[in-house]
Amino acid sequence: MSRFLFPRWSNLLLPTIILAAATIPVYAIFFVAYGLSPKTLEVGYQPEQPVPYSHALHAGELGLDCRYCHTSVEKAAHASVPATQTCMNCHTHIRPESPKLAKIKESYATGLPVPWIRIHKLPEFAYFNHSAHVSRGVGCVSCHGRIDKMEVVYQNEPLSMGWCLECHRNPDKNLRPLSEITNLAFDATAELSASEHQALKTKFDINPNDNCSTCHR
Amino acid sequence: MIVSLPPRWMLFTGALAALALAVPPFVIARVRATPDPNRAVHIFFDMDFQPKFRPQSVNPLFADGRAQRPSVLGTVARGEAGLDVHLSDGVVNGKWADTLPAGMTMSRELLDRGQQRYNIYCSACHGYGGYGDGTVNKRAMELMTNSAGPANGTSWVQAKSLHDPLVREHPLGMLFNIASNGIRTMAGYSAQIDTADRWAIAAYVQALQLSQNASIQDVPPEIRDNLKKEVK
Repeated sequence: MSRFLFPRWSNLLLPTIILAAATIPVYAIFFVAYGLSPKTLEVGYQPEQPVPYSHALHAGELGLDCRYCHTSVEKAAHASVPATQTCMNCHTHIRPESPKLAKIKESYATGLPVPWIRIHKLPEFAYFNHSAHVSRGVGCVSCHGRIDKMEVVYQNEPLSMGWCLECHRNPDKNLRPLSEITNLAFDATAELSASEHQALKTKFDINPNDNCSTCHR
Repeated sequence: MIVSLPPRWMLFTGALAALALAVPPFVIARVRATPDPNRAVHIFFDMDFQPKFRPQSVNPLFADGRAQRPSVLGTVARGEAGLDVHLSDGVVNGKWADTLPAGMTMSRELLDRGQQRYNIYCSACHGYGGYGDGTVNKRAMELMTNSAGPANGTSWVQAKSLHDPLVREHPLGMLFNIASNGIRTMAGYSAQIDTADRWAIAAYVQALQLSQNASIQDVPPEIRDNLKKEVK
């Protein structure tokens, strides 16, 4: 039996291994940070709702204020999904026979709720309060995006802890006057100057906490 | 050192592996750019989902599935018996009230609040100026006059102008009552708007009516000239 000799090309193995050892961890870090980020896993969640309600039509084209339906948003932690009665205020008379409204009519007749699917979910150990934000200058669009342009609503922001803290630590540019709170087209960052943001911060006495217990109880 | 290349199959496999590494970034970029019903993936559940009931969540123990229980039929919550008919119905001694209920005073703040609430809840049909030209009314009227006939059974009646002589005669209490319980084809808004806010809206509607039917004599003398210039 002849002696085994490594072929000449095996000299390349060492640099290749070094290169791989240097690249693969970087690649893995990139993969986790980019691929497993809430911006990938959460943003864009767009479930099919039981009723094909269009925010683009109602909030966009018709210009209904968010609060016409989500009535509790200024008073409570939870922004309520409207009662079927709210739909029927108009749809008793407008397109009542439309097949798209069948489930609304059914809910109105039986008194059973429409099983809307919740899109914006926080972990259940985080306690977000809508009223605390919308009554002190943080508008709907900051967290929900241009709902008035969405035919079917999807999640527009990661709603991750890092994302919350970004604003809690530097809220200025997200503040807007209360008159524009539900105006999704108003871009607070672009349309207000730094001094106007500062004035709003003083007016609303904004001094956000980043203690754990602010959100976690 | 003479460099010699490894066998072809090895080079080929290596190149393929390197190419494969390039695929995930493209997949991730595509996922980020397209909304999808199967998102909201939880890799680590932590304590994200807890066995507790949150507002408007589902409790399968009840036939209607509501975790928030509606009040039992026939029960009255404290302070909601409607014993003060001025406050709850807009009626004083069997007649429509002309004044705000006890505890509310007419003020700039009240009218501002009324305007804000009017613009949220009423302007959809009645329009910001109260002429019955809101966006919902416009669209409904368009559906009524579709060439193919009213779309899907639409039966819309033109929203009332609040400057209609009949409506201008409505006392404050009656306006409040209409906002609460509706009238003709209009639905009541007591479920969507607080009692105090409905009073503010009624007060604002009267201010709006006044504003659209005012003469120059109603304007304080010191700002009449400015106003005349603005109109020109």
